[in-house]
Amino acid sequence: MAATKKTNSQLVLDGIFLENPIFRLALSMCPAVGLTTSIKNGLLLGTAVLFVQVFSSCTIAAIKNFIHPRIRIPTYTLTIATWVTVIDLVLAAYVPDAYKQVGLFVKLIVAFAIITMRLEMFACKNSVSASWWDGIGMGFGFMFGMVTIGFVRELLGSGMLLGYDVLGFKPLLFFVLPAAGFFCVGIMMAMFNYVEVVYNRRKESKS
Amino acid sequence: MNEFVKITFRLTLSCLMAALVMGTAFIFTDKAKKHNEHVNVQTTMLSLLGYSDLNPAPKELKLYSLYRYIIEEKGTTYLGYMVPVTESGKESYELLKLNLEGKLMQRVPMNISPDAAAEDAERATAMKEALKTEQGIAYQDRTVVARLGDQRLAYLLPGKFGGFKTFINVILSLNPDFAIRGLEIMEHEEDPGLGAEISQNYFKNQFRNKSFERLKSLDVIKEPLPDEYRAYLNAPDKMDKDKADAIIKQYGEKDIYALTGSTISSRSVTDGVKNMVKRFAYRIQVLNDVIADQKIPALI
Repeated sequence: MAATKKTNSQLVLDGIFLENPIFRLALSMCPAVGLTTSIKNGLLLGTAVLFVQVFSSCTIAAIKNFIHPRIRIPTYTLTIATWVTVIDLVLAAYVPDAYKQVGLFVKLIVAFAIITMRLEMFACKNSVSASWWDGIGMGFGFMFGMVTIGFVRELLGSGMLLGYDVLGFKPLLFFVLPAAGFFCVGIMMAMFNYVEVVYNRRKESKS
Repeated sequence: MNEFVKITFRLTLSCLMAALVMGTAFIFTDKAKKHNEHVNVQTTMLSLLGYSDLNPAPKELKLYSLYRYIIEEKGTTYLGYMVPVTESGKESYELLKLNLEGKLMQRVPMNISPDAAAEDAERATAMKEALKTEQGIAYQDRTVVARLGDQRLAYLLPGKFGGFKTFINVILSLNPDFAIRGLEIMEHEEDPGLGAEISQNYFKNQFRNKSFERLKSLDVIKEPLPDEYRAYLNAPDKMDKDKADAIIKQYGEKDIYALTGSTISSRSVTDGVKNMVKRFAYRIQVLNDVIADQKIPALI
């Protein structure tokens, strides 16, 4: 794949909708299923992923000519681990309260498929600025996915939104369990696919 | 072969760069992190004494730290206590060197203020000066004595003991008669949902109000926690007085109810707390005797 021809805004928007990491690329399903019991979780983890993705993408894009092709995956892992450690330290130092909630998950970001895949697919072939925008798109796409699933599960599972009791009762307790994460992701994926089908059909009929 | 060298070189360089970035981040965040921990310990100590934002601590409340060292000298082991003292209104420290039988061997005044003593490095230098040697000084632990005016209010013991997986860090609060005032779990790595429940109110508050005598024979029982006792433990200060008293009367002398599925964690905490209190009670009694005997103007 040669360098991308997309504009910056297109890169960001694609990351959120057309190439949404969770619903379209089906990457990083573990956090999407396991950690989305509330909006807050999704938001915090999404923010952490956003930063790691942007920094790692830029680093790899900057040193892409230096990386030996045979050891590119270890180098990617090293880069991601470095940024995850940095963000872990920064969170622990400056927002200790939020860190208590997500501290355990932040370390897991090293193993998130989305970041390695984006480095392999995009950052190692594109310029720093394009990688920056792609990282932002992917990060926000991931956050969007996590928050949407978190919204559905928190509302249906515990009757709350952002920790506030909005319904006053628990409609479907099943939704707080990990298995319900799969249902949510599946239904959202289907919706995304449906929207795409309808969109393409309209485009065809217009032309 | 050429490629091998190239790969090794590039990988090494990447690792060094990564180390540089992480090291820089560590240097920049370390101070803030230490500060957070310090504030956290401070608020926890105050909350263990029953003070919070709603019920702020009175001005007379003072926290003094007592540091314990082990000193090896010519093959003999001594205990060194850095005791906060007051001399004509000025607060400083004095080093008491005790032999293992609890007999005072040496008294050395130390020129270090309580604030400076809280810093590890400054305290180590002061110890070095006081003993005129660098060898065989080993820091052991710290005890915080809370005083309200001239009265000894409570002891606060930061400590750690083995849990199911790794160490469990706690702060224990004791009355002057060694009855437990409260227990706070600061850091642990027990399994979420199982052993991690040790940090829940309904477990750690079971230790409250256990007397020293009762603690010596304290055990863990595998029985379901009664609902009313659980309700009390979850919010001991919110329940109305009569009801709470009745529950304390009924369950106060009971053993510790184990957490479901985490008997090992429950037992570790119970044994750990027991050992901490027993050892501390012995040590502080020895030290109190010395202080009373020598008429040391100690602030503990």
